[in-house]
Amino acid sequence: MVTLNDYLLVSGLLFALGLAGVLLRRNILIIFMALELMLNAANLSLVAFSRFGTVSGLPNYNGQMLVFFIITVAAAEVAVGLAIIVALYRARQTTNVEDLNSLKF
Amino acid sequence: MSALNSLPILLIVLPVAAAIAILLGAAPKKTALLATAANLLLTLWLVFGYDQAAAGYQFTSATLLAPEWKLSFALGVDGLSLLLLLLTALVAFAAVWIAPRPEKLERYPSLYYACLLFIVAGATGAFASLDLFFFYAFHELALIPTFLLIGIWGSGDRITAAWKITIYLALGSFVLLIGLLALYLSLPADVRTFSIPGLQALALQGGVIPQTPWIYLTLLLGFGILISLFPFHTWAPQAYASAPAPAAMLHAGVLKKFGLYGLLRVALPLMPQAAQHWTNLLLCLLVGNILYVGLVTIAQKRLDTMLGYSSVMHMGYIFLGIAAFNPLGLTGAAMLLFAHGLSIAALFAIAGVVRERTGSLEFAKLGGLAKPMPFLGFTFGLAAFAAIGLPGFANFASELPIFFGAFSHAGKGLAFSNFQAAGIVALWGVVISAVYMLRGYRAAFMGEAPKRWAALPDLCGCLRPPILLLLAVLLITGFRPQLLIHLVTPTIKAVLAVPAP
Amino acid sequence: MQNLPWIILFTPLLSAVLIVLFTQRWRNLSALISIAAVFVSAAASIVLFRTLPDSTTAFQLPWLDFSALGIGFQVPIGITIDGLSKAMLLVVTCIGALIHLYSWAYMADDEGKSRYFAGLSFFMFSMLGIVFANNFLMMFIFWELVGVSSFILIGHWFYRPAPPAAANKAFICNRLGDFGFMLGILLVWTATQSVDFEVIKAKLPELAANPAFLPFATAAAICLFCGTVGKSAQFPLHVWLPDAMEGPTPVSALIHAATMVAAGVYMLVRVYFIISISPAAMEVIAVIGTITAVLAALMATQQDDIKRVLAYSTLSQLGYMVMAVGVASRDGAMFHLFTHAFFKALLFLGAGSVILACHHEQNIWKMGGLWKKQPITLLTFAAATLALMGVYGFSGFYSKDAILIAASEHHPWIFYAGLFTAFLTAFYMTRLFVVVFFGKARTEAAGHAHESPAVMLIPLVLLAIPSVVAGYHGVIANFLPTPAHEAASNVPYIASGLGLLGIALGFLLYRGQEKDPIRIPLLANKFYFDEFYALLIWNTQDLLARISGFIDRWILDTALVRGLSSGTWGFGFALRFIQCGNLQAYALLFGAGVVALFYFILFYK
Repeated sequence: MVTLNDYLLVSGLLFALGLAGVLLRRNILIIFMALELMLNAANLSLVAFSRFGTVSGLPNYNGQMLVFFIITVAAAEVAVGLAIIVALYRARQTTNVEDLNSLKF
Repeated sequence: MSALNSLPILLIVLPVAAAIAILLGAAPKKTALLATAANLLLTLWLVFGYDQAAAGYQFTSATLLAPEWKLSFALGVDGLSLLLLLLTALVAFAAVWIAPRPEKLERYPSLYYACLLFIVAGATGAFASLDLFFFYAFHELALIPTFLLIGIWGSGDRITAAWKITIYLALGSFVLLIGLLALYLSLPADVRTFSIPGLQALALQGGVIPQTPWIYLTLLLGFGILISLFPFHTWAPQAYASAPAPAAMLHAGVLKKFGLYGLLRVALPLMPQAAQHWTNLLLCLLVGNILYVGLVTIAQKRLDTMLGYSSVMHMGYIFLGIAAFNPLGLTGAAMLLFAHGLSIAALFAIAGVVRERTGSLEFAKLGGLAKPMPFLGFTFGLAAFAAIGLPGFANFASELPIFFGAFSHAGKGLAFSNFQAAGIVALWGVVISAVYMLRGYRAAFMGEAPKRWAALPDLCGCLRPPILLLLAVLLITGFRPQLLIHLVTPTIKAVLAVPAP
Repeated sequence: MQNLPWIILFTPLLSAVLIVLFTQRWRNLSALISIAAVFVSAAASIVLFRTLPDSTTAFQLPWLDFSALGIGFQVPIGITIDGLSKAMLLVVTCIGALIHLYSWAYMADDEGKSRYFAGLSFFMFSMLGIVFANNFLMMFIFWELVGVSSFILIGHWFYRPAPPAAANKAFICNRLGDFGFMLGILLVWTATQSVDFEVIKAKLPELAANPAFLPFATAAAICLFCGTVGKSAQFPLHVWLPDAMEGPTPVSALIHAATMVAAGVYMLVRVYFIISISPAAMEVIAVIGTITAVLAALMATQQDDIKRVLAYSTLSQLGYMVMAVGVASRDGAMFHLFTHAFFKALLFLGAGSVILACHHEQNIWKMGGLWKKQPITLLTFAAATLALMGVYGFSGFYSKDAILIAASEHHPWIFYAGLFTAFLTAFYMTRLFVVVFFGKARTEAAGHAHESPAVMLIPLVLLAIPSVVAGYHGVIANFLPTPAHEAASNVPYIASGLGLLGIALGFLLYRGQEKDPIRIPLLANKFYFDEFYALLIWNTQDLLARISGFIDRWILDTALVRGLSSGTWGFGFALRFIQCGNLQAYALLFGAGVVALFYFILFYK
């Protein structure tokens, strides 16, 4: 029997992987993908909560609705984000975040 | 609503319209002078049209803006605000007249005059507003042109001075805003209002407005910073020393009185019991104003900073009247608002002309100026004697009731009460003010004139009327102080009518 | 008739206003207006003296009135007409008129003539206000106004270094006295709730019945007396009067000899009903008066400036009057005020005539031998000198004796001090007279001196008459109540004897001398009062001022205000270093922040 805890464990692992990717990787594209991983970790836990948090025998659909929202927003975000990255690459000829540090005093 | 009721609006709209016209290309000085002259005439109309017997707020108009907050654009005048409107109109007229001709200004002449007019509009609006929100907002409006005037056309370290006064006063206004909002929120939800007459009606019922001490303290400090209450006074001398003369006249003469007006209009009538809580603190601070700042004034080596400090010092007398909180003290304070505004404006006007002629106001470089410039020497003498409370000028007639008001609080047995002790210090302040004013007068205008000043021209006839106007009003009200007392009596009665809980 | 007091009071003001506003350019016209005004006042005063009955409330103009606020605080401009004010009125307007006339010639070539006459008219207005005052505050108002007119007139030659300094000194010393005066008024007001003399007089007996009131009355009386100390230049505020001689000589005669400085004594007599409650205050007044009389007479013996000798003599005589009030002889004080006004004004005008003849030379050792050249000046000056010395037959004799008799009944030491002063007075006046008029001319200017014009001599002669006769019982009784004379008193003989001794000593020492045979630096330097005060002010007020200035500049403004703003800036500056530009560092901090937030929300209670 797969319990809620197992789902949450996987979700947490995914989230941690994503966060580690964001913090440790230098390539901005990989960071971006790691970011998507974190969103999907959240999606997984939401679906799990929806499945296990039954209200009078029915799943709580709010969680699943939220997942659709996140997927939609993530798609839009990818579109904009990738566009920015492409624009950035054109301007700077690099995707390494350590070279992109002009936002400071 | 009769046409007369829109007079206060006209008073605000006129300078704003003139300022816009100037920015759009109208002849700066002529337009500004016309607008301020019209303002003066309208204000006189208001003063004479005010029904003394009926008292209360007259010429009222209100436009409801936000019903859920009971916020409306309400204007109206009573005796006290008329007194301050008259002060505003007089000083504004004199300041614009004495201002340098546009072609003499190095930078943006139109903006200079527009700024002066915006200060006038702001001050007028603040004194004519019957709504806390606009009362506050109009004063803020006047701070911006002050900043520009000092920062762009000032002398000496003008940028520092401009930032200092602006940040300091903005901070003071912020403290004040906290106090006003706290006052608003401390009211029971169903009676909350921004309307000043509405609030006063609540106060008259007694017990409706919570007398929370810290709210009054916030108001006192907020207003106090705007009035240069010791120890929050260091913005004033530097700013006045750097400001161009008309700006110094308008700020020291008029705008600074906003804080005192606020105390008399808002803080005291709404929270009289809370005010009692802080009387001793206020007495200590005003002694600081009179004694400590008085001594600092003696130590000044420049005419402009000396005048700046002296204006800080004289605020102590007004605070003494307010602290005394009896008919004599409050009336004296209200009268001194008017008298001090005129005398300090005249002094700054003359100092401005002297600076224009000599390029410096350091006592060490001046001397003997009354010989080449007899008119300026004479009028500066008159204004200086007015400022130090010589009988015959309105300042004396106002300080007298303040002293008697302070002494009305008898001590126990033979001991002096705190009020009387503060009153004695204030009396000593009269000696101190004589010392610095006469030293300054002598250093600048008397004695042997250095050769380089021998050929300085006296003030030309065309610029004499504004100074004479200010002095004449001081003399008239000094000979007939009843004119002022008559005007403010109903307001003072209303302030004192609030019942004890 | 109903307007008489107002005409007397306001005509000089009108003249001052006219001159300032319209006739500044026409100097002679200004002078004429001013002279005409004072003659109108003088004539009206004489009419008033003969016709109007005593009253204190018949003439009132409202000035401050708080009855609308339910407070009984009213300050009218009200006129007192009684024996005291009538006599004083005559003194002020008549001497004033003569001195205005004299000024016409004395200031003939002065370029500031208009300003001078405006000041003189303004002074007349203020002085008459003091004389007429029927309440404390009105008196205080005019008290301040005479101060400022004195300031204007002392500083008449403002473009020289000394007069403005003297003017400032005079005004500030007066303000010091006025501090006490106002405090006294406030104290009286707290006790009686009134500033009106008559009302206070009516209320006092009831209050004085309470023994606890006595210390209060003492404090109030001494505070009021401070006003006199300032205005009448009593010790320790006497230093301004000699310096005030920097003003034109007619001003010294009118303001700093005959009228304004006597206002302090007039005020004491006016409020005698208050000060007489407290024996301690009376004692203080008598002692201060005595000290002033003796000190000033000592200083006068060693001055070389003709006007300064007279100034110290004025101080000394004012000390006499104050002492008289202190020993409960207000009739004696007023009597001496009355006679002194004439002969001291005459002395100053005579000195002015001498000074003008010697081309503005004031040092008596540069004069000499003037008796041949200025016979009328000599004669009138002699009459006044004899009156001042208190020689029998001259007015000063009678008034001084009245004071000395009162003093002898009061306390022996005060009496001895008074006698010593009388001796010194005779001595220094002989010295002055001998050195100025006799011997041979010691300078070129004195050699070419000639008699002054008639416009100046007429006032001299007119003043010489009352200087002689004003003391006669038949004359003075018309104006003032005379002190009850004790026929058996031997005081007049002792005083006359000492006076003759002083005269003889003066003659012996100074006859034919080229320079002063005795030099006492302590006296010549006025007991170093000026130096002491300069040091005192430098070490107290100016020191405090500099310390306050330092605190304000560096601690309040720089450390606190600038400190606060620099602190804000510095905090922001430190925070800037977190902004390293590395995206992942931001992400790490952000993550850490989220974790910390969760920690606090979940586990921190």
